[in-house]
Amino acid sequence: MSVVERTSDAERASDNVRIRSGYSIKSILGARETVLLLVSITFSIILSFLSPRFLSVNNLVSIATGMTYDVIMATGMTLVLIVGGIDLSVGSILGLTGVVTTMMLRSGVSIAVSVTAGLMLGVLLGAINGTMISNFKINPFIVTLGMMAIARGAAVVLTSGYFLSNLPPSYLILGQGKLLGIPFPIYVMLLLVILFEYLLKNWSPLYTIFYIGTNPDAAELSGIKVGRMILACYVISGFLSALAGVFMTSRLAMGYAQFGLGAELRAIAASVIGGASMSGGEGSIGGTFLGVLLLAIINNGFVLLNFSVYWQGVVNGLILVLAVAVDAFRRARRGERRI
Amino acid sequence: MQLYRESGNPMARGVSSFGRLTKINNSGLVVTVVLMVVGMTIAFPYFLTPINIETMAMGFIQEAIMALGMTIVIISGGIDLSVSAVLPFTAIIIGLLFNRQVATPLAIVLSLVLATLIGVVNGVMINRLRAHPFIVTLATLTAVKGVSLVITEGGTISGFPQEFYFIGQGRVLGIPFPVLLFVVLAVLFSHLLRNHKFFQQVYFVGGNQRAARLSGINVEGLRLVIYAINSFLAGLAGIITASQYVSANTGFGLGSELRVITTVIIGGASLSGGKGSIGGTIWGIIFLAIIANAFVLSGAPTYWSDVVYGGMLLIAVLLEEYMRADRKALRRRNWRDFLTSG
Amino acid sequence: MADVVLSINGITKSFAGNKVLDDINLEIQRGSVHALVGENGAGKSTLVKIVGGIYQPDSGTICMNGKTVHFAGPHDAINHGISIVHQELSLVPKMSIAQNVFSHREPVNRLGFIKWAELYRKTRELLKPLGLDIDPGRPVGGLSVGVQQLIEIAKALSTDARVLILDEPTSALSEKEVDMLYKVINDLKSRGVTSIFISHKLPEVFRVSDVISVLRDGRLVGTVRKEATTPEEIIRMMVGRPLGDLYPPKSSRVGERILSVENMTRVPAFRDVSLELFRGEILGFAGLVGSGRTEVARAIFGADRIDSGRIMLGGREVKIGSPRDAIRHGICYLTEDRKDLGLFLTKTVRSNIVASSLSKFVTRNGFLRKHEIEESSRYFVDYFRLKPSDDRALVMNLSGGNQQKALLAKWICAGPKVLIADEPTRGVDVGAKSEIHRHLRQLAESGVGVIVISSELPELLGLSDRIAVFNSGRIAAFIDGKGATQEDVMRYATL
Repeated sequence: MSVVERTSDAERASDNVRIRSGYSIKSILGARETVLLLVSITFSIILSFLSPRFLSVNNLVSIATGMTYDVIMATGMTLVLIVGGIDLSVGSILGLTGVVTTMMLRSGVSIAVSVTAGLMLGVLLGAINGTMISNFKINPFIVTLGMMAIARGAAVVLTSGYFLSNLPPSYLILGQGKLLGIPFPIYVMLLLVILFEYLLKNWSPLYTIFYIGTNPDAAELSGIKVGRMILACYVISGFLSALAGVFMTSRLAMGYAQFGLGAELRAIAASVIGGASMSGGEGSIGGTFLGVLLLAIINNGFVLLNFSVYWQGVVNGLILVLAVAVDAFRRARRGERRI
Repeated sequence: MQLYRESGNPMARGVSSFGRLTKINNSGLVVTVVLMVVGMTIAFPYFLTPINIETMAMGFIQEAIMALGMTIVIISGGIDLSVSAVLPFTAIIIGLLFNRQVATPLAIVLSLVLATLIGVVNGVMINRLRAHPFIVTLATLTAVKGVSLVITEGGTISGFPQEFYFIGQGRVLGIPFPVLLFVVLAVLFSHLLRNHKFFQQVYFVGGNQRAARLSGINVEGLRLVIYAINSFLAGLAGIITASQYVSANTGFGLGSELRVITTVIIGGASLSGGKGSIGGTIWGIIFLAIIANAFVLSGAPTYWSDVVYGGMLLIAVLLEEYMRADRKALRRRNWRDFLTSG
Repeated sequence: MADVVLSINGITKSFAGNKVLDDINLEIQRGSVHALVGENGAGKSTLVKIVGGIYQPDSGTICMNGKTVHFAGPHDAINHGISIVHQELSLVPKMSIAQNVFSHREPVNRLGFIKWAELYRKTRELLKPLGLDIDPGRPVGGLSVGVQQLIEIAKALSTDARVLILDEPTSALSEKEVDMLYKVINDLKSRGVTSIFISHKLPEVFRVSDVISVLRDGRLVGTVRKEATTPEEIIRMMVGRPLGDLYPPKSSRVGERILSVENMTRVPAFRDVSLELFRGEILGFAGLVGSGRTEVARAIFGADRIDSGRIMLGGREVKIGSPRDAIRHGICYLTEDRKDLGLFLTKTVRSNIVASSLSKFVTRNGFLRKHEIEESSRYFVDYFRLKPSDDRALVMNLSGGNQQKALLAKWICAGPKVLIADEPTRGVDVGAKSEIHRHLRQLAESGVGVIVISSELPELLGLSDRIAVFNSGRIAAFIDGKGATQEDVMRYATL
């Protein structure tokens, strides 16, 4: 494997190294995911005492259903944040692809073609983002801000601001159909989370985005396909936003230009709560999922306990601050130098 | 012993502050704006009438005022998303105060103080947590919006005293008061940013934060003031909005943070910091105001304006990138020219 | 002469559990030039940063003029009359010279507005003794590094510093500029300004300083007057042992040709460059900065495109369009810019070691084989005796020498046929330096073709079997590494 001859010295040293298992108790307890899971469980226990309705199947399913769009979009967002970018256009892409899909359906195009076209539009918009960022080296914040305005504007132009209802009933199955009493989108969401979490940690091409996000120049000189992977992340993000758009229009049985308004900020917040960093190179899909879950449980609590729903925003903001504070504490302990 | 000599009159450059004020960096944008004005005047004779100009100015006045503060924030290498929450929040607070019979001047001062405090909180959190300003101000955006919703419960606050109408609707010498206020603020901040010691530091912090800290600039304190000013201006925009509509609700300023940032970027500031000017931002404001006006005058559906904004933003940065590539090559050559002995 | 301006009492500092400074006690005489020497990682820079208020000590105090002072940040230190000229330039390229020199201490009127005319006049006054007659309104960006360094010094002087700390000020200066700097230091001395001078280069330390303090592994080894010591003694104090044979023995057997470059051109960096590299040899690249040596290396590695020419590997022509192609063909390039282009600082040692060889640790479908990654990374950590020995430590917490060894490990892990090492020992202490030399030689002995680029001629002469001397984008000569002198190389490099 190596071109270097082992010196006897080094050989002895390496024999002395005990094989550590990949995971120690300490590293599991210290992980962001564990903390989030524990906090979520704690909240759930408290809520189940305060409101017996919390643990009812109906309520749990409705929490999970409400999460799907955010989880699907935040999955793409996490990849983009890890690779060192940001994607402000996810909410608008959701809106536009939803509008395009429903318009095609209403004009009699088959479901398969309409959905595929919607998803491909998401891929295309993501590819435009990615190309401008990786090829023309333009700040991703600005590129996706522009795309956000364009996609949302296009959606409004196409619909003139109206709702597009009267969708074919068979289309509604996508978002409303159930298997074993659980709506389809939940299965898709869980599948996507597990798939991307696994690929991100274990599949070499996707794993390289951690390197790219940490230091793109060094990654380039290490032989990593930097441009292609940046492009891929934005394409995946566009695709997943479009997928969320399909589910949302199907579930709500209509298309509307303002669907997904503000979703980009929620997705970023969930990713950051889940451990992603604005400077790139950090984050996990599992963490992001738990970030969305935590916010969903808390918001559900507001509803169940008949608190004013208007408090949600305040609490969501505070949780984001808390996540950043925890991160700051962790960094300080790790001994990062200031200058 | 002379190591480096340069010919030419060294005092010719930038000594007079007037010379600096009129020096324009973004000539491309200026030319575009001038061409647009000419084109619009030909297409719509109505374009250059005082009434239309006033409509244009008043249609963009909130964004224009906020863009002044955002320019400073972006030059310092930061970003502030929370302005679009501070705007309605201030409007709502002043409404609440009026409902409790607080005198107008006191109500204005109190609500502006509260707005400024939000900026201070932003600054403290960015400093203390060493977190990215995007995330911190995203958090305050969410939280402050939430507070506004809690206060209004989604409704609208009304019942403003008569004398408050002046701020948003009054005129001085025939000019709308908010426009006058903007002009005063723009001149003030432009002058400060170019010539005041304190505001010059903003360019240092944005240009090279590490270097700024090493040369003894109090980066944390500076940041606090910058975000406070930005929040203050957003609060001012909120008060003007409240006075214009004689009411307050959480829908005010929706999405304005991104419009404001767009304006500043089109005006030539760079998100990586150290670059930008009030003058450039003003040209950016005029540019976007004319585009918005074109939709009104041509009768085209205003839905299109978002698409055009987005397109303009992308074109602006593509052009800037094109020019920067040029400069980069130049700099690299300079570094290569420098020889040291092996 | 017993007038102490600055005294450092029992300063101790740790980063993430690593003790960087251990109970440092030092007294600096007013108006003296006090040199601080030591290997990289000895703690000089950290000590200076504590004196400058950038870091806070874990324990110990700093006294100025007999009074204990506490610096909460750089501005406190500056207000007390301590100014640092930092190793890395801290100027803002887009701002004018005058604004950079005075940064936020510009002359202002009562309202805080800058008096531009006065600012420019004062700047000219400060620049004049430094030999710079230059428009103060001009942006710093386009100036040469040497001029920028002098502006940096002007900036430190602008604060009316009573203690001036110069952290390796000569590393980027030409000889003429260095002379000017010595003159300035002597002028300051006659005006009662104290200078603390940090340097690697002993000849210049002996030329300018009055007192020399030696740091080693975070401890103060001793303080001696210049007249009472010799360079040999200082070196002994620095390394804690006499330096034996510095360089590993040269290659005895040179194998077949492994790499050849024919008529490679990239205008304007280099023209018509041809060279051959043989298995088992170390080929040195000499030349001034800008002579094309780094550019040729980058072109062979595919980081820059070439206009014309051929690259042959083991007798076959290869097309190299990107670093990825080069790595696939077994050509690796150890960059001179460790932090910006080489390492992933916030990632673990393990991640860094396998960064360019991930494709070796995957299944057919691209899934990572984590156990093999772990095994290999541990092997290299042991082999290079990296400290700390846990390969899950973050690279940013490693010393310069260990970072460089981790970077070398990354490329050896990629299994190179040809390794191009650009300034492999820059910013690395003496101990790690000779270790890296040994590793490079071992690599050559095991059949890898090694190219070493270095600005340090003694290193190049000591390490290389042959030296290609670059001059203005061409190879002026190939010199045999045995018996060549610095004068030989310099003649080809400059004529």
